[in-house]
Amino acid sequence: MDGMAEGALFLLTLGAAGATNARIWQELSSRGSSWQELVEPGSDALWTALGVPPGTVRRFRGLAEGCFAEKEAERAAFQGVHLVTAADPSYPPALWDLADPPPALYVRGKWPLDSGGVAVVGTRRCTSYAFQVAQEVGRRVARAGRWLISGGAMGVDGGAHGGALESGGPTAAVFGTGVDVFFPAEHGDLFRRIVAQGGTLLSEFPLGTTGRPWQFPQRNRIIAALASRTVVVEAPGRSGALVTARRAMEMGRELWVVPGRIDENVCEGSNALLADGGFPLVDVAHFAETLGGQPLQGTLGLYGDEKYDLPSDLGDLERKILAQLRDRGDQTIDNLATGGTMSSAHISSALALLNVRGLVYPSGPGRWRASLKK
Amino acid sequence: MGVVRGVTLRGVDAVPVEVEVEITGGLFVISVVGLPDAAVREARERVRAALRSSGIPLRGRVAVNLAPADIPKEGALLDLPMALGMAVASGALPSPPPALYLGEVALDGRLRRGRGAVPAALLARQMGLPLFFPRENSSEVALVDGVEAFAVDSLPSLMEHLRGGAPLSPLERRTLSPGEPRVDTDLEDVKGQSGARRALEIAAAGHHNLFFVGAPGSGKTLLARALRGILPPLSSEEFLEVLRVRSADGQEEIPDLQPPFRAVHHTASTAAVCGGGSALRPGEVSLAHRGVLFLDELAEFRRDLLEALRQPLEDATITVSRATGSVTYPSRVLLVGAANPCPCGFWGDVIQPCRCAPQERERYRRRLSGPILDRIDLHVAVPRLSPEELVGLGDRRGESSARVRSRVIRAREIQRRRWEPFGYRCNAEIPERLLRRETPLGPTEAAFLRDAARRMTLSGRGLSRLLRVARTIADLDGDGAPLGVSHLAEALGYRPGALW
Repeated sequence: MDGMAEGALFLLTLGAAGATNARIWQELSSRGSSWQELVEPGSDALWTALGVPPGTVRRFRGLAEGCFAEKEAERAAFQGVHLVTAADPSYPPALWDLADPPPALYVRGKWPLDSGGVAVVGTRRCTSYAFQVAQEVGRRVARAGRWLISGGAMGVDGGAHGGALESGGPTAAVFGTGVDVFFPAEHGDLFRRIVAQGGTLLSEFPLGTTGRPWQFPQRNRIIAALASRTVVVEAPGRSGALVTARRAMEMGRELWVVPGRIDENVCEGSNALLADGGFPLVDVAHFAETLGGQPLQGTLGLYGDEKYDLPSDLGDLERKILAQLRDRGDQTIDNLATGGTMSSAHISSALALLNVRGLVYPSGPGRWRASLKK
Repeated sequence: MGVVRGVTLRGVDAVPVEVEVEITGGLFVISVVGLPDAAVREARERVRAALRSSGIPLRGRVAVNLAPADIPKEGALLDLPMALGMAVASGALPSPPPALYLGEVALDGRLRRGRGAVPAALLARQMGLPLFFPRENSSEVALVDGVEAFAVDSLPSLMEHLRGGAPLSPLERRTLSPGEPRVDTDLEDVKGQSGARRALEIAAAGHHNLFFVGAPGSGKTLLARALRGILPPLSSEEFLEVLRVRSADGQEEIPDLQPPFRAVHHTASTAAVCGGGSALRPGEVSLAHRGVLFLDELAEFRRDLLEALRQPLEDATITVSRATGSVTYPSRVLLVGAANPCPCGFWGDVIQPCRCAPQERERYRRRLSGPILDRIDLHVAVPRLSPEELVGLGDRRGESSARVRSRVIRAREIQRRRWEPFGYRCNAEIPERLLRRETPLGPTEAAFLRDAARRMTLSGRGLSRLLRVARTIADLDGDGAPLGVSHLAEALGYRPGALW
């Protein structure tokens, strides 16, 4: 194929055969061998020496016989998908920090990504609070001019991508399916917007690969490696986000964790990461400041509301309600009504006004919460 | 030849039918022509026996023609005119004066209760004719004014009256007093839920459709039932419309001035809800005409049923088509739907965690929102309160239904005065163009609306819904209240997107 690096087709086949590690590429050159030797008959000894399991070798031979790589490259060219293999100069150096970097990447959209991206990950079954936090972090990351990297899943991932898009920043989604398979289908629009706004979709899996459960935790290592900093928003005890966090820590990347309530299973995993030494993300503005390159400030002072200007045209009632929501968290109209002399009609009207301005959001049926301080 | 006028039912309307009877010599036989249904054809046996017990034996060839010939005739209402026609044709009775006669006869000559007496009475009023009907139907016919109606016990007593013997006395008219509604769920007993109460008040005032979403046990059903206690009583015209549908359905219980409240179970068939069936009966949506149609567990209803409900909700009438022609029933209802926020029901709940996968929730929402939710003006979330929150509310009782009702009645009166010249009654019925012309927005309000529409990506239909609801909220504030930003803002809170 024109314009493809030497050995690209070999790496493509290797990836499709299920080898999740491009290290044998380096291994080969350090041995003074060439990849051609592996394609020749009678190469069993060399394969074994490289530590590739026999099943993978069998699959590799089958694919190579069927000229898989050539066909795949044609398909990719037809679909506008860019192939980046470990032999490619544009293969991100950050991926070599992994113990098992992917042999090949299928890329749609802008390439390469800038370094210094921020990964935002968390559970798919998130609370609407976590969704709001993910969105706000996404906005801040984009405003700081960094790439936002996530997995394109429902819940936290979706919120983070959406927030970044809202602020007009680039964002990359690393798929656990083929890069041409939109999963979940509900996010089809989101993925199209990502590409349209100068972002990127990428995957290590061959075109047309459908979602199988083990693929998602596997791709998480790519998210962790591509980002210089990982933020876990909300994760229960068994969550793919914990895989991302662990891989990020192994590579010595910065790990930030949004603290959660200790009585809710949905935060169990993320809170455990805090106990293991993740930076607590207790203030989005502060987090954003550190993205600007300034060193972490000494202490995080407690501040009054005056530091965060409310729109000047807010009425007294709206201010009062906002203050109550910030002081006491999640409230129903009834809770707000018992606090004072306000009628439910006025409260409904004020909440709708605040909601239109993005200052409050519904956290469940009939419950309201103040948005993060802007 | 004997000619007597009877009626047959077509939907909720009675249609006049001329019954012509001719008796010629020959072997005894009765033949009925003119699209009779099974019940009409069987009338031969009933009528013959009834006439015999009245002392009129039939002989010869009896030909009965039901005109006009192209309208299908249904039911046993034509027994009485057929019997009279035969009596006249056999020379046992002089030609009766022009009037409408209806009723099913028993073998011994008694008259039995039938369905459709009220539509017949309305037809008689329109045609300026007296009406003779079975006495068992008198409680409903007595509620129709402007018609000279005679309750008849039996065929012999009617014939005695027609011969000028013992005259029957006309039925006395009965009026219903509005009185206090029978309330089984008073708003007073609903703890908290001030947001939902407010929405109920708005729905009742403007006749807006309402949708409750909330966890199981949050009180959606209770709230929906409380709507009964705050709806204004039916006006006399509305009452007649309700009575007409019920009579056409053959219901015995006489309604009062309370708007009907029909709760439909999700296993109901489309014919049961929308009307139709082999005997062509009005469905629940018509029986709830001028009242409330309550669909609990909206997500459990079959999709085709919800699809079928769109047209009656939009047009306020439902047309059922059959090979023999189509009939139209009225269906101006206040639809109240209730559903859980997700398949397991506990999304966003403070007590119990939700067990649904995000995709399941998404699918559930889409299934709900498709066919019917965009016909609903008020979307309201009903939070389930935690025990701590319930205790925090204290013992303060809520406002009673009677007080809310008085505000609703006042708001209805304001609407009636405004829309009567255009032929409408409630804000929910008003076409958008008329609404905008009659209640223009000030510059501040228009700017607010533009801004909100942009931020919330409101559709055209969403916007007109918003304006109608805002109008009702302003009307609840009292007479002549101009539409302000606070009204628009509150209405915004009831748009579908504000819930979840």
